[in-house]
Amino acid sequence: MAETGPPFRSVRLLLLGGATVLLVLGMALMAMAIGRAAIPAERARVNVLARSDNACAQCHRDNSPGITEQYGHSTMAVAAVTCQDCHEVPEAYPGSVEHEGTYVLQSPSTARCETCHQVQVAQFNASRHGLPAYVAMTGVGMLTADQLTQYESIPEGGFSPDKSRNALYELEGPAITRFACEPCHNVGSPHPDGSTGQCQKCHLRHEFSLEQARKPETCNACHIGPDHPQWEIYQESPHGIAYATGGATWNWEAEPGTLDVTDMPAATCATCHISGFGAAPTSHDVGDRLTWYLFAPISERRPDWEVNLSQMQAVCAQCHNAAFVNELYTAADAATEAVNAWVVESNQIMAPLQDNQLLTAAPFDEPIDFAYFNLWHHWGRTAKFGAWMQGPDYVQWHGAYEILHDLAELRALAAEKLGE
Amino acid sequence: MYLLAELFPLVRQVRLPINRDRAMLMLLALMQMGMAVEAYAGHQISGTIVPNERTPVVFGALAALTLVLSGVLARRHHMTAALLATITFLASIAVGLLGVYFHLRRVVLPAAPAGQLFSLHRLIWAPPFVAPLMFALIGVLGLSAVWRESPPDSGVLMLPGARRLFMPLSKTRALFLWVGLAFLATVVSSVLDHARANFINPWLWAPTLVGTFAAGVTLVMGFLERPSRSELWVYLIAQVLMLVIGPIGALLHLQTNLTAGGGQWVLERLLRGAPVLAPLLFSNMGLLGLLVLLDPAD
Repeated sequence: MAETGPPFRSVRLLLLGGATVLLVLGMALMAMAIGRAAIPAERARVNVLARSDNACAQCHRDNSPGITEQYGHSTMAVAAVTCQDCHEVPEAYPGSVEHEGTYVLQSPSTARCETCHQVQVAQFNASRHGLPAYVAMTGVGMLTADQLTQYESIPEGGFSPDKSRNALYELEGPAITRFACEPCHNVGSPHPDGSTGQCQKCHLRHEFSLEQARKPETCNACHIGPDHPQWEIYQESPHGIAYATGGATWNWEAEPGTLDVTDMPAATCATCHISGFGAAPTSHDVGDRLTWYLFAPISERRPDWEVNLSQMQAVCAQCHNAAFVNELYTAADAATEAVNAWVVESNQIMAPLQDNQLLTAAPFDEPIDFAYFNLWHHWGRTAKFGAWMQGPDYVQWHGAYEILHDLAELRALAAEKLGE
Repeated sequence: MYLLAELFPLVRQVRLPINRDRAMLMLLALMQMGMAVEAYAGHQISGTIVPNERTPVVFGALAALTLVLSGVLARRHHMTAALLATITFLASIAVGLLGVYFHLRRVVLPAAPAGQLFSLHRLIWAPPFVAPLMFALIGVLGLSAVWRESPPDSGVLMLPGARRLFMPLSKTRALFLWVGLAFLATVVSSVLDHARANFINPWLWAPTLVGTFAAGVTLVMGFLERPSRSELWVYLIAQVLMLVIGPIGALLHLQTNLTAGGGQWVLERLLRGAPVLAPLLFSNMGLLGLLVLLDPAD
């Protein structure tokens, strides 16, 4: 029978059939997604570069396979960010080196990270992890005029009461400091292209894993030892015990900006200081939630400390009631003031020696220099950190007790020099 | 066939200031702007909107303005307005399909070992591939609305130069199908998004059930030559449910973000937590579905 309708009318069935197919496919996808909800999140590691024809991946698969293996498992590789996107630069780019017919940065600068992570880099640049970390080691002499302006605009840059760490850096020399000071303090080092800092100190290359960046062991790389034993204090604290005993079950890969106590039921370094948690937004400025300059010999309140306090307490409030938090803050404020008073006392002991030029001009060349420095730099800071982070042994035996010991030693050494 | 009048005969006595096509175009212009805002918020979550991600933001805003301009021109320069709107909707389809490609690129990993190229897990956690598809569906719906059908329900579209385009389905039935597919895209997007929360909260089932029901009902309407009154009632209820579920979802998303933020407004939670604007897509779609019931005649 001949068709009498207008052209295309016979396509009707095809269209309706197509719609049915899409409906069924959509329903199937929904059923699979809902079904997946009943099983734990997939943990399969996929190397997305396994069969890549990217020139870098192909060559480095043989020459430095660890790097390609790591990067193949990174979320950046999943997002189709190539090796070239971070490493390859124009020939004239400051700090570039020739490599297989191209020009690359061996260690990409923050200017490269900033291409996709502007907010994070801006926050980092305003933080103590930026230029102040570097200047604490080298002093300001290495900075350009722009970098000096940037440094002075950072709270820790404007408040830099102690220069003795620069003196130690000079005294020990590059053979030692290359392995001692620099691995940590270079977190804020300037790059030839003018940018500052090393994101990869915390976001270890080349996996750039959320889990790795969030776990306290990452902070442990630097925040350890007698001068700032935050790692040891954390392990002793209730938060650290919760992490040690239950951390294996926490949701370390939770989407940034959505973290809450269901992902991490106790605090880590990251949740308190930088992660978006509770009413506190994510920050890459590690000083954003701090009320005191605890690193200083005599601690002072930070600028905008009330704002910082509300940010930190918004995190605390996820688990603790206001009375608990306020009591801790009042008590820790008092502990900070008590340590300040001891450091003031140590300054008073040293003042007549300085006034009468009874100290040598060279730093760290006589026992009294070490006793004076250890008192605040090791024990004073440890006692303060211990109080705020709830590590009793570090407030007492590695803190206050050592301060009292050094005060006694200082008095004896000063009396000897004064001929008393 | 004036389907709304089949349900409520009295509406024949009400003279609407604009016809069905014009109402649909106005709503689509509004949706383009909404999509621009949603794309901006969605692409903002990494802290930086890279050049590719700016495309839907800029396009959505421009498309909305162009469609408004086209609406203004339509009274005196109908053909110019129709051509302007057609170009805008064709571009919208292109932007939508490109967006789907860019989002799906995060799901399908061509250089991964065979057998691991695709996973449902990545489909759930990657950028939502259905979201950009909305631009394409808006484009298709817009193209369906731009060109006048004469006589009504004939499937014959009037083109420039008095040419005619014979379509396989009447405009009303085509709109049912397109709106049904848009419902399907909306509910699939919602299910994939809610799968992140493992469907633990019973409220997450509400849009899943309502969306599936509405998608099924609306698509079936496209199959019916002449729907009965009872079928029209079912369709109307489905659209009203879609209309209602949107604001409820938006409020629940807002409440989730506020709870996670300790009862405080935290911009990051609003941007990166449960998307507050997304559930309103259900309402937009429901409204589109209701517009299909209006009189197809000018």
